[in-house]
Amino acid sequence: MSVERVRTAVGHVVLMLGVLVSLFPFYWMVVMASNTTPDIFSYPPKLVIGSHLFENMGKVLDNIDFFGSMLLTLVASLGVTVLVLFFDSLAAFAFAKYQFPGRNLLFGILLATFMIPSQLALVPQFVTLAEFGWIGSLKALIIPGAANAFGIFWMRQYAKGAIPDELISAAKVDGAGFFRQYLTVGLPVLRPGLAFLGIFTFINVWNDYLWPLIVMTDPNRLTLQVALDQLNGIYGTDYSMVMAGALMSVIPLIGVFLIGARSFIADLAAGAMKF
Amino acid sequence: MWTWVGSVNDDLIGQAEQAIPGFDAMKLAMTRIGSNYKTKVLTALAGKSLVPDIVAINDDVATYFPNADQFHDLFELGAKDLEKDFLPWKWKLGITPQNKMMAYPMDTGPTALFYRSDILTKAGVDIDPAAVAELAPDWDAYIALGKKLKQAVPGSAITDNISGIFDYRMAQQPKRYMTEDGQYIGDQDHVRQAFDLAVRVVKEGLSANAQNSTDKNAVVTNGKLVAYNAAVWWAQLGPKNAAPKTKGLWRVTAAPGGAGNRGGSFLAITKYCKNPEAAFAFISWLESAKNQAQAFLDPVLFPSTPASYTDPKLAAPDPFFGGQKIVDVFAESAKKYPGAFFSPYDSIVGTPIGKELVNVEASGKDPDVAWADAQHQVERELTRAGAI
Amino acid sequence: MAVTSKTAPVAVTATAIPAEKPPNKYRQALPQYLAVSPFFILFAVFGAFPVLFSIWISFHSWDGIGPMTWVGLEQYRYLLSDATFWQTIGNTLIIWVLSTVPMLLLALVIANALHNATRLRTFYRIAYFIPNVTSVVAITLVFGSIFSNNFGLLNAFLQSIGVGQVEWLTSPWGIKIAIATIVTWRWVGYNAIIYLAGLQAISADVYEAAKVDGASPRQTFWRITVPMMRPVILFTAVTSTIGGLQIFTESRVLFGDTNNIGGPGDAGLTIVSYLYQSAFIKNQFGYGAAIGWALFILIVLFSIINWRLIGGTDDERLTRRAARRVERRIAAQNAKREAADVR
Repeated sequence: MSVERVRTAVGHVVLMLGVLVSLFPFYWMVVMASNTTPDIFSYPPKLVIGSHLFENMGKVLDNIDFFGSMLLTLVASLGVTVLVLFFDSLAAFAFAKYQFPGRNLLFGILLATFMIPSQLALVPQFVTLAEFGWIGSLKALIIPGAANAFGIFWMRQYAKGAIPDELISAAKVDGAGFFRQYLTVGLPVLRPGLAFLGIFTFINVWNDYLWPLIVMTDPNRLTLQVALDQLNGIYGTDYSMVMAGALMSVIPLIGVFLIGARSFIADLAAGAMKF
Repeated sequence: MWTWVGSVNDDLIGQAEQAIPGFDAMKLAMTRIGSNYKTKVLTALAGKSLVPDIVAINDDVATYFPNADQFHDLFELGAKDLEKDFLPWKWKLGITPQNKMMAYPMDTGPTALFYRSDILTKAGVDIDPAAVAELAPDWDAYIALGKKLKQAVPGSAITDNISGIFDYRMAQQPKRYMTEDGQYIGDQDHVRQAFDLAVRVVKEGLSANAQNSTDKNAVVTNGKLVAYNAAVWWAQLGPKNAAPKTKGLWRVTAAPGGAGNRGGSFLAITKYCKNPEAAFAFISWLESAKNQAQAFLDPVLFPSTPASYTDPKLAAPDPFFGGQKIVDVFAESAKKYPGAFFSPYDSIVGTPIGKELVNVEASGKDPDVAWADAQHQVERELTRAGAI
Repeated sequence: MAVTSKTAPVAVTATAIPAEKPPNKYRQALPQYLAVSPFFILFAVFGAFPVLFSIWISFHSWDGIGPMTWVGLEQYRYLLSDATFWQTIGNTLIIWVLSTVPMLLLALVIANALHNATRLRTFYRIAYFIPNVTSVVAITLVFGSIFSNNFGLLNAFLQSIGVGQVEWLTSPWGIKIAIATIVTWRWVGYNAIIYLAGLQAISADVYEAAKVDGASPRQTFWRITVPMMRPVILFTAVTSTIGGLQIFTESRVLFGDTNNIGGPGDAGLTIVSYLYQSAFIKNQFGYGAAIGWALFILIVLFSIINWRLIGGTDDERLTRRAARRVERRIAAQNAKREAADVR
C-alpha cells in the first residue's frame, strides 16, 4: 500500500475517532433516557438502549411544563433574532457603505463594547429591570439581548465585501433614499449573511442559561434550559427521567441546526478568516 | 403561594385550591419550588415583580428579619389570639426584635435516632427502642454502636456526611452562634465540640461521604446508612422516599445526646399580597391543630400545636416503622427541646463552618486548620456585614 | 497641478448657476444616524448605563431588597483579601489551561486531517460541530453522570481495566478535569472548522515549494503551516480566553442542587460562579458588582497577553506595518498618476 493511502487511512481513523467522541455523549444520553434509574445505578452499567424511553418522556411531561417552556424559549429566541437581524443589518449597512461624520468614532465605540463581558452588567441590569418591572417577563430576555455588537461587526464585514458600490450609486440615481437603498440593494445581497447571523443568534439565545436563570423568577414560566435545570434539581434522583428531559431539550435545536448546517458552517469559516 | 417540595400536605392544599375557607371567592395558587428555594424567594423580592403572596420560610427565619418590611405584620391581622395554641419557643421564633410578627409557625423538627432494625439484629443488638436508647444515650456510646454495626455489616455508616453530625449536634444545644445582644459565640466550646464530634465520626469511618443530594439518597437506597440521628422530616425525605423497600425495618428512639430540633418552617405574607386577610385566614386554617395532625401523615410534618399530639392520626402505629408509635418519641423530643436563639447572621456564620467541614471530609483537610480557616472567614464576613 | 486651463470652463458655468449654501453634513447623514441609533440606544440603556451603575453599586453594601449602604472601597478591599476570590481565579485559569491547550491542539490535528480528507467532508464537519450547538445544561448533565463517583461510566470502565475508581466529582483536580473535558468537547469542533478554513486559505504553491526543497511533513507543519495560521490561531486563542474566563454553566449544573455551587472545597467555583453566588445566593449585590469589575480587568489583561504572545514578534509586526505603508504609498502615487492622466 502506498504511503499516501496509509496516510489517508490514518487520517480517516483519526477523524472517525473524533466523531465517535463527539457523538458518544448523545448515545449515552439515549441509553440513560431509555432505561430505568436503578439500571443506571447498577454495576456494571447497562450499555445498550432500553425500552423505557417513552415512559420516561411521559414522566418529564408530567413533572415540568415542557412544551410551555419550549414555547417560551422559542418566542424569546425568535424575538431576539428578529430584532438583531433588523437592527444590526441596518446599522451594518450604514457603517459599511456610507460616509458620515462621526462614523469612525461610533464604530470605534462599537468595537470597544466587545471588551465588556456580559457578566459585568449582570447585577446592574437586574436592578434596572427590577425598577422597570420587567423581571420575570419575556421583555427582560428579549430587549437587552438585542444590544449585541457582534451582529453589526459581522454584517459590516459581510456588507463591505458583498455589496458593490455601483449598485448603491445606481439606486441613488434612481432617486432612492437611504432606507429604500437598504431594502432594495442591501437586504437581498445580505441575505446569506443574515441567515448565518440569524441561526447563530437563535442558537445562542436558545442555549442561554445564566441570564434566564437570574431573570425568570416565576417558577411557572421558565426557559427550556432553566426548566431542565429545575427538573434535575427537584427530581434529580430519577436519573433516567432527567436524561429523557435532556434529550427532549436537545433534539429541537439539533434538528433545526441540521437543516441549515452546511451553509452555517461554511459561513462561520469564511467569516473567521476575515478577522 | 410558594413553598418547597415536601413542606405541606397535598390534600389540604388541594382543598384550598378549590376555595379558601372563609373566603369562598378566593383560591390558592400553589407553586412548589424544587431547588434553591431561598435564593428564588430573595431574588423575587429583589426583582420586585411576580412576588408570591405567601411564602414558606425555613428555620433560618431570623435571616429575613432585616427585611421584615417586605412582609405584613401578622399581629395586625389578628395573630395574637392564636398564640396559646402553639409551642411557645416556636411562636417566639417568628417575631422580630422590633416585636413585629413576621412569620407564622408551621411545623417543627424534633430529632430522634432512626435505625435499621435488621442491621442491628445482624450485629446482635436488641432492637427494642427503649433498649437502644439505653445502649446509646450519648454520642460516645452511639459511635461505639456504630462501630459494632460496621463490623457486622461492612460499609455501614451512621451519617450521610460530616455535616449531618455537626448540624444535628448543634440542634441539641441551647445556644448557637450569637447571643441575643449580638455577641459572637460561634468560636466557643459548644461549637468546637460539635465540630470535633463530626470529624471524629468521619475518622472512625462511619460517614458515607455523600455530599450531594443524589448521593445522599443513594446511600439510603443501597442500605449504607443504617442509623441516623435526624429530625422527624427526614423520615419522609430519607427512608420513605428513597428506600420504600425497607418498609417495616426502621425504628426510632431517643436521640443520643439529648432532644434537639432542626428545621421546622414558617409562613409569611409578603407586602405584595393584595388580600392579606384572606391570606391570613388560609394560613391560620392550614396550621390549626386538626390540620397539622393531618399533615403529619403526609409528609411527616411534626405539628407545632401540642393539641395535635393526642390526635388519633398521630397516635396511630406507623407501618413503615414496624408498627411503632413514632409520635411518642418525637413529642418527647419536641417537649424536651431547650430552645435556642437564632440570629439574622446565622447563615453567614454557618456557611464557612459548613464548607470547612466538607473540606475535612471530602479533601482530607486538617481539622484544626479547617476550624481556624472557618473562624477567620466568619470574622471577615461578620465584619463586612457590620455584625461585629 | 495645472489650474488655469481646468478652472476656466468651471468659472464660465459658475456664473450661470446661483451659488447654494453647502448642505449641512449632519442633516444629510440623518438616515445613517437613524440606522445605527437602535443599537446605540439599546446599548446606552442596557450596556453602558449598567456598566456605570455597576461601579455605583460596587461602592455600596446591598442585599437587593433593603436600602443601599455606602461603604466606599470596602468591597474592593475585601475582594483583594478574599481567599475564595483568588481561589476562583486560580480555578478558572487552571480549567482554562486544561481545556484550551488540548482543545486547540486537537482542533489543529483534526483540521489537518479534515484538510487532507477528500471524502465525507460534510459529514465530518457537521458531526464535529454538533457539540457546539448542544445545550450546555443537557450535556453537563450527561457528563455529570459519566463522571459520577459511584455510578459513572468512566469509573466503571476504569474499574474494569483494573485502575480503580477516581473521585471525579469530589476531588479538586477531578472536578477541574471534568469541567475542562466538557468545555473541550464542546469547542474542539468549532475551532477545528475555523482552523480548516485557515488551512485552506494557504495556497498550495507554498507547499509545493516546500516539497521541492525537501521539507518533511513535520517541518512543513511547524515552519510553514503554523506561522501562516498565526492570525487564525490568535483569533481562536483570544476567543477561547475570553470564553474560558466566563465559564459558569458547567460548574453550576454539576453542583447546583446545593448552595455550594462550586462543589466540595469550591474546586469548581469559577469567577462568574462566584459572582452569581455572591449576588444572587448570598444577596450581596455590591460585592457581585465588584467581582464583575475584577473579571473585566482580567479579561483585558489576558487579551493583551494573548495578543502579544501570539500576535508575532515585534520585528514581524514592524515588517508588516512597513510593508503596508509602502503599499499605501504606491497606491497613492498610482492614484495621482491616474488622476493626472485623466487631465
